[in-house]
Amino acid sequence: MIKIKIKCFSQVRYALGKDEIALELDEGTTSDDLEKMIREKALGKLENVTLGIAINKKYVLDDTKLNDGDEIAFIPPVQGG
Amino acid sequence: MIVVELVESPIIPFQSSNDHKEKGSELIFNGRVRETEHGEKITCLEYEQYEGMAEKELQNIANETQNKFPVDDIFCRHRIGVVEVGEASLHVSIWSKHRKEGLDAMSYFIIELKKRVPIWKWAILDSGKKIPSECKHE
Repeated sequence: MIKIKIKCFSQVRYALGKDEIALELDEGTTSDDLEKMIREKALGKLENVTLGIAINKKYVLDDTKLNDGDEIAFIPPVQGG
Repeated sequence: MIVVELVESPIIPFQSSNDHKEKGSELIFNGRVRETEHGEKITCLEYEQYEGMAEKELQNIANETQNKFPVDDIFCRHRIGVVEVGEASLHVSIWSKHRKEGLDAMSYFIIELKKRVPIWKWAILDSGKKIPSECKHE
């Protein structure tokens, strides 16, 4: 098993009602697997929201394997400026 | 020179100067908070960042901009926290030898910032309700 932390921002926080989520996952879980889980937890509230993925504060490509201790953020469309 | 900063108090613009003898162009952009969002009146916006990633990404974009365009200086301050209607949320100043590269660099920098820097806005409505801003940048 691996332990990871999810940071929630903007629409993701609004949908899940949490700033941070700690999870234990099976070895070999990928960011795509986790995104599916998060979307299910959001009960449709993230249906039309595109999510980028950052692992340990760096953007990564889809389907990246997660490692023990990773900090993951699903990044809804950003709005700086 | 590159300076990027996330600040929690009203933006103090970067100092202008008459001493840059080889820099013929000084461009300044201020992004300000509008009083309506999708027709609804707001009292202010609250900007949140992904701490530790937002400033790093801003720095990456400034480095890329300077590699892509022959500009001398990029200075950027972005507000975090509550920003009242009318206040500047973003201040960018770019110095270059000529206007064209400065304008191109400014456009590139702001477009990339709006695509990549993990900063989000919450709209505070007149009723006091706080909701994720629906403002989407193209």
